[in-house]
Order: sequence, then C-alpha cells, then structure tokens
Amino acid sequence: MSAFEHELRNGFALHATRRHFLRDCSLGLGGLFLAGMAGSQNQAFASEASQSGFRQGAHFAPKAKRVIFLHMAGAPSQLELFDYKPDLQTLDGHDCPESFLEGKRFAFIQGVPKMLGPQFPFKQCGESGAWVSDRLPHFQSVVDKVCFIKSMTTTQFNHGPAQLLLHTGNQNLGSASFGAWTMYGLGSENENLPGFIVLVSGGRTPSAGKSVWGSGFLPSVHQGVQCRSQGDPVLFLSNPDSVSREQRRRALDALEKLNRSTFEETGDAEVLTRISQYEMAFRMQTSATEAFDLNQETKQTHERYGTQPGRESFANNCLLARRLAERDVRFIQLFHWGWDSHGAGASEALNVGFSDRCKEVDQPITALLGDLEQRGLLEDTLVVWGGEFGRTPMRENRGGVEMKFIGRDHNPGAFTIWLAGGGVKPGFTFGETDEIGYEAVIDRVSPHDLHATLLHLLGIDHERLTYFSQGLPQRLSNVTKPSRVVKEIIAAV
Amino acid sequence: MLLIVASICCCGAADEPTQAIDFNQTIRPILTQHCSACHGGVKQAGGVSFIYADQVLPPDGWVIEPGDADASVLMERVTTDDLEMRMPPVEESPDGLSDEEIERLRQWIDEGAKWSDHWSIGDLVDVAVVDHSPASTSHWARGRIDEFVESRLRSEGLSANADAPPGEWLRRVSFDLVGLPPSTDQHSAFESACVKAVDRQALEKVYSEKVDELLANPHFGERWAAVWMDLARYADSKGFEKDPHRDMWPYRDWLIRAFNADMPYDQFTIKQLAGDLLPEPTADDLIATAFNRNTQTNTEGGTDDEEFRVLATIDRVNTTWTVWQATTFGCVQCHAHPYDAYQHDEYYQNLALFNNSLDSDLDSDFPTLKIPSDESQIEVAYEKQLRYRRLIKSRNQMGLDWVSETEWNPLVPVKAESTGGRLKIVADEVRADGGTFPVGVKYTVVAKMKTPSLVGPATVLRLEIRPLGDDPLSWPEQGSLLTHLGLQHVASSGIETPIEIADVFVDALTNDGDPRDCLNHSRGGVGGFPKLNGPRQAYFVLKQPLVLDADDTLRFTMLQSASTTGNVATPLRRFQWQISDGRRWSELIQSRSFADQTKALDDAKKAVSAIDGSELPVILERPDTVARVTRQFIRGNWLDRGDEVDGGIPEIFANRAGAEPIEVNDRLEMARWLVSDENPLAARVWANRIWQQLFSLGIVETLEDFGSSGLMPSHPGLLDYLAIQLRDTHHWHLKSLIREIVLSSTYRQSNATSREKRNRDPRNQWLSRGPRTRLSAEMVRDQALAVSGLINEEIGGNSVMPWQPDGVWQTVYSGAEWKTAKDDSRYRRALYTYWRRTSPYPSMILFDTPTRDLCSARRIATNTPLQALVTLNDPVYVECAEALARRGIELHQKPAKPLPVDQTIAWMFEAVTQQPPSEFELSVLTSLYDDLWSQQAELEKETSAVEAMSIVASTLLNLDKALTK
Repeated sequence: MSAFEHELRNGFALHATRRHFLRDCSLGLGGLFLAGMAGSQNQAFASEASQSGFRQGAHFAPKAKRVIFLHMAGAPSQLELFDYKPDLQTLDGHDCPESFLEGKRFAFIQGVPKMLGPQFPFKQCGESGAWVSDRLPHFQSVVDKVCFIKSMTTTQFNHGPAQLLLHTGNQNLGSASFGAWTMYGLGSENENLPGFIVLVSGGRTPSAGKSVWGSGFLPSVHQGVQCRSQGDPVLFLSNPDSVSREQRRRALDALEKLNRSTFEETGDAEVLTRISQYEMAFRMQTSATEAFDLNQETKQTHERYGTQPGRESFANNCLLARRLAERDVRFIQLFHWGWDSHGAGASEALNVGFSDRCKEVDQPITALLGDLEQRGLLEDTLVVWGGEFGRTPMRENRGGVEMKFIGRDHNPGAFTIWLAGGGVKPGFTFGETDEIGYEAVIDRVSPHDLHATLLHLLGIDHERLTYFSQGLPQRLSNVTKPSRVVKEIIAAV
Repeated sequence: MLLIVASICCCGAADEPTQAIDFNQTIRPILTQHCSACHGGVKQAGGVSFIYADQVLPPDGWVIEPGDADASVLMERVTTDDLEMRMPPVEESPDGLSDEEIERLRQWIDEGAKWSDHWSIGDLVDVAVVDHSPASTSHWARGRIDEFVESRLRSEGLSANADAPPGEWLRRVSFDLVGLPPSTDQHSAFESACVKAVDRQALEKVYSEKVDELLANPHFGERWAAVWMDLARYADSKGFEKDPHRDMWPYRDWLIRAFNADMPYDQFTIKQLAGDLLPEPTADDLIATAFNRNTQTNTEGGTDDEEFRVLATIDRVNTTWTVWQATTFGCVQCHAHPYDAYQHDEYYQNLALFNNSLDSDLDSDFPTLKIPSDESQIEVAYEKQLRYRRLIKSRNQMGLDWVSETEWNPLVPVKAESTGGRLKIVADEVRADGGTFPVGVKYTVVAKMKTPSLVGPATVLRLEIRPLGDDPLSWPEQGSLLTHLGLQHVASSGIETPIEIADVFVDALTNDGDPRDCLNHSRGGVGGFPKLNGPRQAYFVLKQPLVLDADDTLRFTMLQSASTTGNVATPLRRFQWQISDGRRWSELIQSRSFADQTKALDDAKKAVSAIDGSELPVILERPDTVARVTRQFIRGNWLDRGDEVDGGIPEIFANRAGAEPIEVNDRLEMARWLVSDENPLAARVWANRIWQQLFSLGIVETLEDFGSSGLMPSHPGLLDYLAIQLRDTHHWHLKSLIREIVLSSTYRQSNATSREKRNRDPRNQWLSRGPRTRLSAEMVRDQALAVSGLINEEIGGNSVMPWQPDGVWQTVYSGAEWKTAKDDSRYRRALYTYWRRTSPYPSMILFDTPTRDLCSARRIATNTPLQALVTLNDPVYVECAEALARRGIELHQKPAKPLPVDQTIAWMFEAVTQQPPSEFELSVLTSLYDDLWSQQAELEKETSAVEAMSIVASTLLNLDKALTK
C-alpha cells in the first residue's frame, strides 16, 4: 500500500463517521474524498484547484462542472443513426460470412443470419459533415456542437452487465456508479437539492435496476436520488394533507428547540447535524418543488422541447435537466427505456418502436443542447448520449428463423456515443468501425477509457480518485484493466 | 489458548523503549504502508516480498540478519543517503522512512527479528489486565470487560461515565436485544423495580432479570436475524434484469428460529455452509443452506448460465470469507493477495469446495425444497421429498449396478439427418456439422450392428453424449439434452416395427425430473443441462428383447426440445449409440422388487407434487461420478481456464506454525474448520460483530477486513477475551455473551458527553461513555409502529408489502406488482418487508440498508435530509403519529372534561423516549399544541384536537432522542 493509499484508508476510516460526512455531505455536499486525503500528497492538488476557483475536490482545473448523461437503455442501433455504412447496404439479404460468426456469442442470433443494410437514408449535416439518418431531423441541425465517438466497444453483450459496466466500471453488481464517484470526488454545489439526480422515462427502470445509479461500496449518501415527474419529485417531499406548511414550520421550530436541548444534555455533535438536516429538508420542500415545476417555463420553451407539464416523458426530463443544471446540480442522469430493437415484436422493430423512440428524443435533445448553449451553460456542462452496446450488422433470426419484424441483435464490438459541451471538441468525430459497422477498428474506446476521460473533464485524475474496499483502492476506471484519457477529443483551451 | 500476564501502566503505550518490539503491533504496519505495494503479493520486486517470512529471513531470505541490524540489507537500503538506492523510492516517498520508524526496525532486528503471523490469525490470547496505576482501585468495573476498557481509558487520560439512568439503559438494551422500545408498562415496571431495590445486589438482580426476559423474548430472533440478513444478502427476488420473485422467507424464518433457540455459532455455521452434507440432514439443516442460495440468478435472455453459475460460486466464496473470516479473499480471484499471505491458486482450491452444487443459474432456481404454507408441516413435507429423492436415486442405481458387467457393442450409424443443422458420421459417432439446431430439433439416425456380435437378443441401448471439443479445458459446453426418444426396428425386408422402451437409467441424476421423462414427452430428459461438463450416458431398456439380424437397422428419432434462458437450444452435438444383449436388464425390469420400487417412486412423486407451498432454493451436491472439475481462472477470467485444482484452504491456515496440518476436502470440513479451535479468526470476527451491534463501533472498526489493509483493534486484549468467552466459556452461545456485555459497566454508562471527552474521544472509540447511536432502518420503522400501537407482532411467514409510493417498481419485462397489503400485515416489523433487489423499499434504503446484491458486512449510518422527509411525510409515519396521538388522547381524555394536554404530551414523550420530558421540553411541546389550536387562521389550517396532537406526535417521532438509542 503506498503511503497515499494508507493515508486514504485511515483517513477514510476516521472520516466515515456520520458526524463528518453528514455535516458536510448530507446531499453529497463537499467531497468526502478530499476529507479522506487531508494531509496527503493530494493536498497540493487540492489547493491548486481551489486557487483556480473550483471546488477543492478536483485534481486540476476542470472543463466541466456538471454532467447530463442521457442513457438510451436497451442500446440504440448505431447503424440506423450515426454510423453510416453503404457497404452494408450492398450486402443486405446475403448470408452472413462464417468469418463474422466464428468465436462470437450472441444473445439471440443462431446459425447463419442474413446481413441487414441500414434501414433509413443518411445525410451529411452541418459544417462538420457528420452523417445522421433521417430518424433525427432536429438533431441534424446541432451536429456541430457534438463530438461523436464511433469506436466504443464493451466486453458485455447482455443489458444488465453492459449497463453496469458503462455506469459503474464493473459488469457485476457492487461497484459505485459514475455519478456516485463524482459526488464522492466533488460534492454538490447546491445546498437545497440532491447533487445527483436521476430521471427515468419510458415507464421502466434500466435492466440493471437502480444499481446503475447506486453507490456500491461508496457510502450510501453518494447514490443518485431518483426524482419523479409525477407526484412528488423527491419521495416524501410533500407535507401530508393534514399539515400545512406554516404548521410544519412551527413543528420544526419546536423540534429544533428540543433537539438543541438534547445537544446540551448529551453533548452529541450528531444532534447538531440532525438539526441542520431537518432545516435542509424544509428548504428542499420549496426548492425541489420549484425546480421541478415545469409550469414556470414559457410556451415557447414548451414548444421547443415538446413538453407537456405533468407527463412522464423524456422531453419533460430534458427540460428538467436544464432546470437542474441551472441550479448547479452536479450530476443529472436520464434513462429512456425501449431501445432494444430485436424485431421480436412491433415495439422492438427498427421501423416501428425504434422510430418512435427516435421521435421521442430527437426534438428534446436538440432543444436541450441549444437551450444550454443560449444560457451559457453548455461550456461547463458535459452532455453524454449513448446506449450500453451496439447492434449487429446482421438481422436477428431468433431461434434460427426469419422473424416478422426487422431488428438487430446485441453487439458489444461497436457502438456510437456522443458528447457535447464541457470541454470536448465540437463538430468532431473520433474513431472508426469496420466497413460494416461490426467492430470498432480505429481508436477503440472502452467504457473505462470513457470514464477516465469524463473524470478528466471534471478535473479529476481517474487513477487518484480511489476508495478502499475489498482490500483494494477501488476506482471507477477499474484497477486491473488499463484505461486512458482520450485526449484527442478534448478541446484546446 | 495462551495465558499471558501483561503489565500495563497508566502511560503504557505498547512500544515503550524498554519493551521488546512486537512485530504485528509495530513492524508489520511499517512494511504494509511502505513496502508491500512493490514487495508484496502482486508485485515482488527484486524477488522480495514482505508478506512471507521465508522471503525476508534466513535461510532463504537475504534482506535481514536477525540480531544484527547493521549487517542487514534492509537497514542499509532504508538509511542510505544515495537516493538512487534508498527505499522506499523517492517517487513514492520523498522523505523515506521517519527516524522513529527506522529506529523501530533497527531495534526489532537487533532483538532477533521475530516474525509472527498477522495478529488476526494468531492464537487467542487471554491477557490478564494488571494495572499498576494508583487509581486502579476504582469501583467502576463490574467484570473483565470493564477492566480492559478502564485500563485503556486511563492510558488515554480519560475516565468512564457513571451508570445511565434506568430508562436510558432500558431503551438501549431493548433495541439492542429485541429491536423494539420497551412499552410504557414495561418501562414503568422497570423503573419502579429499580426504586424498590434495597441494595446494589438487588439492583443488579433487577437488571439481570430484565436482560434474561429480553433474551427469552421471541422478538430477539427477529432483531438478530436482521443483522445476519445483510451478511447473507437476503432478498425476496433473484436479482438482475427481470429480478423475479423467489421464495426465500423460509430461510429468514430459520434465522429467527436459530437465534431464538440460541443455536451455538458452530452449529449455525455448519448448517448454513454444509447442512446438506451432514449425515442425516433435517429439514432445518437443508433450509439453512439457502444462505448460499441468496446469490443472484440471471434470467435475462441469452445469458450464459455457466457464467452466472460461476459468478454465484465466486460470490459464495467471497461471502463466506467476509462473513466468517473478515478476509478480503475476493482479491485473490485475479492474483495473489497484495498485502496478505494468500496465493492465487488458493482461491480456486477454496472455490473447488463450493463448485459442485447442483444449482446452475436455471430460471427455476433448481434445486429447491418445497416448504408448505403451514410451517408445522415442514418436517412431514420434507420426509416426502427426502423419500422421493432416495427412491429416484436407488431405483436408478438398480440399473447402474449392471452397467459395468454389460458388454457394449457400438452401433454403426449409416444415416444421420436433422430438421435443423447438418449432421455427419465420424467412425461410430454422429457429430453436428454446422448450421442451426434450434429448440425442437429432431434427429433421425439409422444404425446397424458393427458385426453381428450379439449372442442373444438385444436388451438395452446405451447413448453416450459427448462434448464436441476433445480438450477438457474447453468444457463445460452448452448443454446437450435428449428430451424424447422414439425407436423403430427396420428389418432387412423393409418391414418397420416400433420398439417399446420399458425404462431409462442415467449415469447420474443431475437434472430436475426423471430419466423416464424422455419416454413420455415430459419436460425432463437425459444428458447434461444446462451445461455439458463431460461425457454423459443414458441407458434405454427394451420392453421385449429384440432379435437383430445382421442386415437389420434401428431408426432412432431423437427430439431435443429443452432450452436455457432466452430460448437457447441444448442440442446433442456428438454422440454414439451402443447395444447389448445383457440379460440382467430384462430380468431387472421384470423383477418384483423393481416393480415395487417403481410404484413406490411414483407414489412418492405424487405425494411431493401434492405439497402446496413455497419453493426454497437450497444447496445440494452433484453426484461424485459427475463432479465438476475446478480450474484456476487466469487473472480471474472465467473463460481462461488453467490447471485443475483440488479443494482446500489457504496454506497459512492449513499449516499454522506449531499446529497440526489441517486437511479440508469438502464443504462440511471447511465449515467445521471455520468454527474449530484451529481457526481463532472466526471467533474474533463474530465477537467483534456482536460488539459493533451494541456499541456501533467495532473493536476492529473494519468489520469486513481483519487483514493487513484493515484497521487494528482498539482493544486487542478485550477482543481476544470476548472471542475466548464466546467460544470456550459460552460454547458459542450468543445470548450468554450478550448478557455479559450488556450488564457490564462499559455498556451501562450514561451517554452524556463533556466537551473534553468529545475532543479527546470524538468517536467514543475508547468507550468513555455509553453508546449513543442512530436507530437502524428496521428500528426506526418498528419503533414508530410499536409506540403508536399499530404494530402487528406476528413472527415469520411470507414477506409483506406495506405502503410504498406509486411507481417505485418499474422493473423491466416483469409483471410483478407492488400490492399494498390491505390488512394489518402492513404493520408487520421491517424485516418482513418485501425485498426486491433492483428496487428495495425506499425508506429502508434511505436509512442505510444495503441493496443486498452482495454480502454487506457493515452499514455506515448517515444523517440526511431525505431521512427527515421519510419520518416527517412518509404516510407510514403520518399514520403512526396519528395513532400515537389518538392513543394518548384516549388514555387521558375524561368524559366532559377538557383534555389534559400536558399529561397527554408527557405520556407520549415518555412512550417514545423512555424518559419524562423536562420542563422545557414539555413547555415547547404544549405551546406547539396550543399554537396549532389557537392560531389556526394564521397557520392557514383548520385543525381538530387529534390533528394538532398528531403533529405533536410526529414531532416526537422526529426527535433526535427518538431516532437514537
């Protein structure tokens, strides 16, 4: 164990008491990570970062202060959206060559499937000339704000494990999510809202369950708080019908007096923490309600996003994401369900369900990017879009037979994600897949590389953001597998 | 056990210059902190590892000369001015070791460089505390525990608090023992008994009787089962994507029964880890094995059952080592342990002990034990299932008995066709040759005798199902299961006659179902499922012996309709048919005894299927003849398989210095070893966990890690004392150890803190006051239910669904629904709340319960605004507050008189906190009530007396005093 790790270990044990982290980190305020490092070599970095006006948790001056992560759960087809493959069109309907099948495992494809060409027309857009299909007509207008990574790969080809790998750096359960790591490292900038907020649309949570925003081995205070677009945005936020806000205020005043006398009686500092947490809860009742009130937005904004207050929709969540970003919520994570386009039924067919999903996200995402830019938020907000893996250039043939609808199976070999804002190169494309979009072949990027890069943009050295668990200084970018910061996509200052 | 008398003086740090240096206390931490990262288990730079004594000390080691620091390379390297040479390297540590550290190393080497195993695995040592300080005549200590604590307090310059007021202790001990606050009656009875006690002795009796009463209370089992459920990763669902329901509650109820019966920890351990291997396991022994069936089952389409079976097995190993040994053994999955003496292959040796259970990540969770809804019928139902298992095995064995004395002749396939992919004939085998073999694929194989070798008529056919790959390293393969066989005799004349098959036997029973299923289109079959671990055989006995001419052929119609998760087929890919004229087979199926067995089996099967109840997953072992081979995974990658390994435990445990070598060959031996005198670690870990439950901080704070990367014990002598008490004095009984602790002066201290104590002992590590800790998630809920009178105290049974906000369950592809209980089962204690892994009950998670995806050895209590929102606004708590208010009003309202508000509030206050309100507290609460009542216009709310009192009650439930014990 290096001296640094040792310090971290012991420092953590000392600071992982309720008193410490709850006074400072009730909603993930104040990076615990830093507290654990007091006196270690990282103090140098901490002070350097604080001089640059950023929170003391960062290792160096960050380019992004917050993250909006748009996860398309189920894994959208890169071949129908961004990764244009004319060669695949010419192979359409042919038997898949044996060489593509050797040593491969598929979720559903059996025997020899047929190749499947792109299902929709593509065109080059913007000054950058990025290829985008006709499924995303709005998005075509904002490609110059976006940096595509076409060479993403993963090791997992089932949804649950692949989502866990993408969000926690580990395909198995038990590790901390990217958002939780960010909270642990940087803390929150808003005292009245949770620092890590999750919004779900499509009627389902992701396949891997709530672990994709869980805290894993990190203290539970860092986990994402799932907020809802119907009813209370935060669970139990509203007073019961029988209690008015004024009454609650009186009750809390009484509670504070009583707790203060308990502190005098016992000398237990934890009591003081509790007093402040109740006050924060009271403030949150107003601030969260306000933050989630879409009725405050103008008609033009609603038209721009395609939002209807009161509904559970991806559009509403995009607008909420902007409102939360404005309020300095550190990590905003959206999950939109329904992208698993196998073709086993209409809702999973590329020409039906997939096209519907595209319609649901195209306008709001475009609005979000433009809106963030106009409000000056895009420069320090990192927007990430993607699924957990890609889809095969072969048509799925579940059970070895041709299916009624058109779909593609899971493909861990290649998928596309894009980033915008927060210090990434706009109008840039990184990495390439082979001529049929089956494997990433140039500049491959793993989920761990992505984590290292995203953390870097947040001002964190991925090798130094660690937490001691199971005898190891665990980290998001994975201890055992090498990972790198993809510097090529980072904009020059 | 050793008895050592150590001398501790009031300033007695363990490493006074006059004392010999203790390796574990002083030297190991220096090595771990500065050296082992490069010279350890993973990296052994320069061939030096500071984890193993033989790599450091002569004759093999060369860096230390015992007795001569100046001649030791180690000292030269840590003291040299040459920064190129200096250790630790400048990049790692600019200033190198401190003078003090260097001095300690020097002294230790000069004193002979005595090495010892890591403290946690050494023998338990009974250290008598002999205190020479002048203040040692204190009357504070009641027993040995207190002596350890007091001596340590002195050395820290602290003193203990006096006993807490009776109400404070009663609240603490009630939560700690039964997880519930005392009722108002219990509280007042206890207070008055204390007052009535004439002398100290009588008072002690009042306390000890209270403890005995609580220990005998059936809620004791619930409180301690909840502790174990985190370790066992208990949940009511299977985990992963769909996260479907699983009947796990019988295991939870077993835990409650075990704790209530004060089952000794050794039995408790053996039953959970190896109850199935006990000589004559009872139903409870088998139910206990569900401990290791709390691993997750992946039912997502297309997942590889072997991958998730392996993952579950790894989880079982890691969980076992975390729970019993507080060892981060999971590290060793990929490489040798970086800081502790565990080698990579030792992980897989241990895994081999867990690797041969029948379960294989099937959606059905096979094998399961049926538990009748009426728990009193468990034994009867178990007997039926046991009988069925015995009969199916003994009946199958009747066939197997003749296998070895049967002469087998291969049949030569002449034609092999499939409704799916291609088949080819290679010598006497049929092999898959490309293409797709979907679920329901049918093979038609025509075969004839190699030479007319049979003397008599054919009586039996043997099917050998083989893996496609010849290299055992590539095994297991996807399963191969024949689900139905049809047979035709085709005479040379062309006349076809169907041949009836009388019976089927298999080499080993590894699947759910009966081999005979492949005669009647039932869902079972013969072969390997869901994986083929190696060649498998099945035997088909003909009803009538069949005379086969040289030119006759047999036509086999082989249907394969089984599939694994996601409709993935399990076709035969390589097989051979053989034939014999062994007469014994015909005799067998015609024999009376066999007919009797068949009838008995069929009756037993009916009796089992008539049992109405739950299906509890349990651990059962695969038959030896088809045992799984365990291989090391290179760098932990399950697809990269290395050498075959035999079962065992790590060398540092198997060959402890000065002890007899220990051999561990199966799970039962492993379990027995864990709780044997040869393994002091388990006693330390369990004693520490019990202590932590009572004091909130463990003596070893890292409950999950007693290794080099964990923290050292704050009171090593006390830890060993408790471990010895637990194992030797109390014979592993939990209740008597708890009794001893909660009656100690240490536990009975008042929890008030002075500023000075807070500064010198901020976390109460030195126990200068009684513990004051937040209630656990379970206790927060149970307290509200108890004081409001709503609680349903029923013990055991199916998990329940109390109120939960809408829309919390949105799990994919699953029709599962949260159906809020309409009856009073919604007021059941927290541990009965339905636990779905992907979406645990929100208010529990907010109060720091783990998700129970994996074993969790420690909850860290937090204090957040989201918790405040739960106890203020969650309808469960709103309902409890109102019920508490109504209870208070009913007790105090006299007809035609105004409500005595202050009496009502004082009663509620005491019901919640077990102490009377101070004048100040009462005045704050009564003015709150009065304001709510008199200022309704201002507060924008019309309010009834009940509503106003409910707000007061809610305030009480949110008091810091209510949320702590």
